Amino acid sequence: MKINGQTALITGASSGIGYELARCFAQDGYNLVLVSRNTDRLNEIANEFTQQYGLGKVTVVGADLAQPDAPQRVYNEMNNQGIRVNVLVNDAGFGEYGMFATETDLQKELSMIQTNVTALVHLTKLFLRDMTTRNEGKILMLASVASVLPNPLMAVYGATKAFILSFSEALRNELKDTDITVTALMPGATNTDFFNRAGADGTVAHKQAMKTDAADVARDGYEALMSGKDKVVSGMMNKAQVAMSRVMPDPFITANVRKQMARPSNGNGQHEKEGKKQMATTGSLVGAVLILGIVALAYYNKARYTDFKLSDLHL
Amino acid sequence: MNGKTALITGASSGFGREFAKLFAQDGYNLVLVARQQEVLQQLSDELTQAHGINATVLAKDLAQPDAADQIYLECQQQGIQVDVLVNDAGLSEYGKFVESDLRKELDTIQVNVTSLVYLTKLFLRDMVARNEGKILQLGSTLSLIPTPLMAVYGATKAFVLSFTEALQNELNDTNVTLTILMPGAADTDFFNKAGAEDTKVYQDTKLSKPEDVARDGYEGLMSGVPRVVSGFKNKVQAVGAGMLPGSLMAAAMRDLMEPYDPDAERKKKITQYTIAGVVAAGVLTWLALGRNRRSDWN
Repeated sequence: MKINGQTALITGASSGIGYELARCFAQDGYNLVLVSRNTDRLNEIANEFTQQYGLGKVTVVGADLAQPDAPQRVYNEMNNQGIRVNVLVNDAGFGEYGMFATETDLQKELSMIQTNVTALVHLTKLFLRDMTTRNEGKILMLASVASVLPNPLMAVYGATKAFILSFSEALRNELKDTDITVTALMPGATNTDFFNRAGADGTVAHKQAMKTDAADVARDGYEALMSGKDKVVSGMMNKAQVAMSRVMPDPFITANVRKQMARPSNGNGQHEKEGKKQMATTGSLVGAVLILGIVALAYYNKARYTDFKLSDLHL
Repeated sequence: MNGKTALITGASSGFGREFAKLFAQDGYNLVLVARQQEVLQQLSDELTQAHGINATVLAKDLAQPDAADQIYLECQQQGIQVDVLVNDAGLSEYGKFVESDLRKELDTIQVNVTSLVYLTKLFLRDMVARNEGKILQLGSTLSLIPTPLMAVYGATKAFVLSFTEALQNELNDTNVTLTILMPGAADTDFFNKAGAEDTKVYQDTKLSKPEDVARDGYEGLMSGVPRVVSGFKNKVQAVGAGMLPGSLMAAAMRDLMEPYDPDAERKKKITQYTIAGVVAAGVLTWLALGRNRRSDWN
């Protein structure tokens, strides 16, 4: 049992991976700032953590990050209360399921961009400035395997996650000479309220999600964050899928995701078909990993013997 | 005249302006969208006179959340059916994220991401209903490469690529096509506007000509190609970027995005040539010795 005096601010802390991340911090004696729209639920969580772990102080901030002024309000609130944020966890986000041209709700998609992208950039800007002044801090970004896999039937969601990964990797490079680290957590389908909220219940991906516990994903993210890793793909199958995305052509990858996003029709052949698909996928994965290994080895050798930079090739 | 209409955002300069010319040459009517009314009006006059087409000028700022809606309504009110949508408008901001201007970056997201999604939604709905239409999205080679010192810009372009590829899949069974154009660094006003005119990439690499890039994009769009990477070296880069780790690509891009220092570059090149020379000499010596040794054995 320890109290470490540091504070972690977690957006989207009322449920899912955000909630489980908050628990990781609570267990390690961090003070918490929990941000979400649902302050009732946040207060419950605050009580729960205080009773269970009783270590750090828990502050609840009600904010809807789909509102453009929310990040500034959250930041001001911290200043007013004299809270220094040592760890920022940008977890808040949601999806919207359906064909973009004919089915999905534009207003929901605009709110999604505001929450997943704009608010994330805005919060990062505000808190990173202070971290830079102190030369100390950690940021966790909720990316996804969808960051590297275009996501039909969730086209906007997948794109917001592609944004987050690119942004995180660029930022990490900019901060390489500082003591501030940026970590991207890339989960696959996880057993949270995500699919119901997106209207994607009953999809193949939703069924897969049932097998992955949000607590395990959060643990992977927390450990990567604490050790300052650049990114972590949670889960073996997801790691393989991400590796595969590097060597397979995009239309193939995209079509594969499309299958995962479909709602399976109820039939007897379904089980068999899924089994075959798994085998085919595993086969491709082994091939992909082999190719990756060769590429990595070739690169490693090259990098060992020369001060190799891609730009030296004048691409 | 072919009776069809192309709507082009960001039509006042750079690629957008070149697209307007290409469409006009092929007899398309135009809807030209940008912030500056006078510049657009001039371009409109020029193209209508030269090619006998109709052009409509809409002075709108896509950094405004309601701009996309206004553009769509305006087209409806004027009875214009948009057959081709070119989402060219884009902004950027240069500098370390911790120092760069937040307001400009929020505008960048609004223009490059939100307004692009918004316009695509409104016009794509009608295209799918007619089962006919074409959309060109401005991606970038940076869609594949995290971009230090332009972190938000690079991320917006990653968004555009992922979004476009997902839509291409969703529209597989229709006659509506989406094409993403991915240029590398080009000789447009982009770098000046972003405050990145001193960077190595702008000062010390061969920049594409906007008319060449636009021509590549136009041809890809017309033939319904999913992805157009303009320029040979950019094509090579795109293939590499797909396979190499993001952190490595980011480091390479960081080098290009740093301010250009001719002296440092010259020293770097001398070092590179020296190393290459020493390695070559070493290899030659080794070959020569190896041969001698072999001849000894014989």
